[in-house]
Amino acid sequence: MHIPDGYLSPSTCATLYAFAAAGWYAALQRVKRLLATRAIPLISVFAAFCFVVMMFNVPLPGGTTGHAVGVGVAAIVLGPWGSILAISIALAIQALFFGDGGITTLGANCFNMAIVGSFVAYVVYRMIAANSNLKSRQRVFAAAVAGYVAINASALVTAIELGIQPALFHDPSGTPLYAPYPLHVAIPAMMIGHLTFAGLAEAAISAGMVSYLQRADLGLLRGIGGLAQSPASAFANPSAEGSQRRLWWAVALLMLLTPLGILAAGTAWGEWSSADLTNPQTRKQIAAASRNHAPPSSVPAGIAKLSNLWTAPFPGYAPRFIKSPMFGYLLSAMFGVGILILASLLAGVVAEKWPRRSLPL
Amino acid sequence: MASTYEVQDISYSYEAVPAIRGLTLRIEAGDRIALLGANGSGKSTLLRLLDALYFPSAGSIAFQGEPLTEKCLQQEEFFLNFRRRVALVFQNPDVQLFNPTVFDEVAYGPLQLQWNKEDVLRRVDETLEFMSISHLRDRPPYRLSGGEKKRVALASVLVLDPEVLLLDEPTATLDPKSQSQVVDLIQQWKGTAKTVITATHQLEIVEDIADRVFVLEAGAVIAQGTPSEVLSNSGLLLRANLIHAHRHRHDGVVHSHPHLHGHSHHEHER
Amino acid sequence: MSRHPFLERTLRGFTRAVSTALASEHAATQPGLLQQLDPRVRVIGILALVLSVVLCRRIAAVAALLLIAIAIAAASRVSIASLAKRVWLVVLGFSGVIALPALFLIPGRPLFAVPALHLSISVQGVRTAVMLVLRVETTATLTTVLVLSTAWIHILKALRSLHLPAEIVTMLAMTHRYVFLLIETANQMFESRQSRTVGVLSGPAQRKMAARTAGVLLSKSVELSHEVYLAMLSRGFRGEVRLLTGFRFRVRDYASLTVFIITSCLVVWIGR
Repeated sequence: MHIPDGYLSPSTCATLYAFAAAGWYAALQRVKRLLATRAIPLISVFAAFCFVVMMFNVPLPGGTTGHAVGVGVAAIVLGPWGSILAISIALAIQALFFGDGGITTLGANCFNMAIVGSFVAYVVYRMIAANSNLKSRQRVFAAAVAGYVAINASALVTAIELGIQPALFHDPSGTPLYAPYPLHVAIPAMMIGHLTFAGLAEAAISAGMVSYLQRADLGLLRGIGGLAQSPASAFANPSAEGSQRRLWWAVALLMLLTPLGILAAGTAWGEWSSADLTNPQTRKQIAAASRNHAPPSSVPAGIAKLSNLWTAPFPGYAPRFIKSPMFGYLLSAMFGVGILILASLLAGVVAEKWPRRSLPL
Repeated sequence: MASTYEVQDISYSYEAVPAIRGLTLRIEAGDRIALLGANGSGKSTLLRLLDALYFPSAGSIAFQGEPLTEKCLQQEEFFLNFRRRVALVFQNPDVQLFNPTVFDEVAYGPLQLQWNKEDVLRRVDETLEFMSISHLRDRPPYRLSGGEKKRVALASVLVLDPEVLLLDEPTATLDPKSQSQVVDLIQQWKGTAKTVITATHQLEIVEDIADRVFVLEAGAVIAQGTPSEVLSNSGLLLRANLIHAHRHRHDGVVHSHPHLHGHSHHEHER
Repeated sequence: MSRHPFLERTLRGFTRAVSTALASEHAATQPGLLQQLDPRVRVIGILALVLSVVLCRRIAAVAALLLIAIAIAAASRVSIASLAKRVWLVVLGFSGVIALPALFLIPGRPLFAVPALHLSISVQGVRTAVMLVLRVETTATLTTVLVLSTAWIHILKALRSLHLPAEIVTMLAMTHRYVFLLIETANQMFESRQSRTVGVLSGPAQRKMAARTAGVLLSKSVELSHEVYLAMLSRGFRGEVRLLTGFRFRVRDYASLTVFIITSCLVVWIGR
């Protein structure tokens, strides 16, 4: 899953570097705040551990082997922020020192594996493990699923990044300049390998290690130094944690149900562009949805002026190059939710850091 | 003048397991002390308490008249002063060698104590020379042998010219040549103002490195005295698990007596 | 002795990692072109060239950069044979294989047809495959030459002078230092388990061994980190990181930096 240099265009690299940098900054702030001086040795040695685990060949069914990333374990023991740092550092050393993964694509790789991977692993683990006993099998199962889903989430984001390259970056004759395969090739190609091998390797390592920790080192399973607490709250209150978990389940469910939106026919009332108001076909639809009142014969001046001010990246909730509307919808939903979650988490961290003037009593 | 260390009845536990209980001792400036005890007797823990890395849950430790508490060490001046004057050499050199190269390792202490650049460079070179490791200057720690690592670890604390040296099993895992080099170094400080406190379970070096011995067992001092007093007391050594007794044959007779392997002759206690 | 391929492959991976470190250490002491330059110039210069590889839009430009990369490697006493074995073949095996289907899959003007497979290779397909492989080869060559000619700590100190935060630099340095210790530990654990197993282990048992080794390694790692923390405190650590960089620019450094930057910009301009 490590993307080498040359697969992503400079603008893609720059964008993902920006996302990654925001993630690193937020993670560093949070880890420093919770661990103070202990952060440096803990994160460093843990990153070294992740690096070595990434080198393990994990035996898989069928006599094959796969590699784990260790994001499952890192998220469980260090929490999502510590995991972001540890995995990113391991990836940086892999890229620079061992040539595994590119330098221009380091931001992308860190975003995919360290940031997306850590959060997905952490959220899935907390959702499934819930408040179960630290020594229960539920925890082992939660770890396996968390590792599996996290790796596949990372693989999906990677596939999307690679898959949009040819459509966006090609020379005038149509030659793709970077990754050459469009989404409908990139996604299956990446996902097949990860839904099977890499995902299973991660699941095996995550589950196996939680099982080991249950017997040998329970303290680590509880999470180190307050890092593995819920990212948005410092409550040790189980009911608060529980309601937050329910919220995550609800969001996941809603995301999966978004394709239902395709079933709605026609256009949403009032959300018309100037093109809609001039097209005779849509004018009929508008009239039918407005108790047979015809829309104005000419486009109102305000709408005409503002209609072309901004073109959405995903017009119609489906990027131009996605053929299946349902998948486009789902993708847009995941994208939107993902961006919102990321933005709110980062806003939370920034807000904590913002100097507040104390009110005079 | 106040004693270097005045330890009164301290206790300390690791996660509910008591490691030190009711330990009292006093150490004066210039003393060469050996803390003798088997693994698990609390020697390492005691050294860390003396280095203010841990703080006792009961009792008190005073360093040159000043109490060593967590609060005191949060004051920058006291902290910098203490860290310069007291140095601990850890048992596992890999723990102590956390910098990328030997040079960086030896320079770490002075840099943290905010020396200026020229002084740091000069002092580091001096110390590397003194420990005969100048040729290892740019080597990363994972390319050093056990003996070399130990010398770098010593260099990294000696660079600050500390008054008190706390050595945790300095000769464990070393080959005989390296062992004797370390012992020679400790002997150099005999009669100087340096206080050297060595924790060890190796009886054969005790006479060379110490003038006074504290024997530890289960987190408390069970005896103290000169090296010859302590080493000749096999009952004491047996109790502290520093020597063993097993059955063997001598001239057709089976008997059991406490002894130490590695000596050129048995010491019999009849 | 291929009873447990996962063990052998893992152990081989460990050996390769250590040998890379040794090769890097050896090459960094050679009197070559890059070795004579200030590490900051090396880092900025190579990064500039890597950036231009990614910014170019023409194959000829990327090919020119590849030649420049090889020239720098040769001048820096990096053996071309080892470069070929370590980098070029590996890249070919990975990106080459990935790029191969592009010959057939990318739509465009047909170059020639393979009648037996009912497929045709398009001009665009060839161009995109060549471009991709060239880009990866060139950037991989450049980064390898940088890492071989420069000690890790110097790369980090160079990045520090380029204003990478001190904590990040310290963590990168410490991680690198302890990677080798943990590799050695894991190596020993695997070797001892390998010698203690009689016969062939079942799949689940193998997985359990891998996971258990990882678990023990985790416990040891966290324990190690606690001890390192104490060692740092003992030597005066209070949270701030102070590094000694000690780099000084000479005339040749200014000159080389200028050459690097101008070359990169020129190639990007020509290859736009």
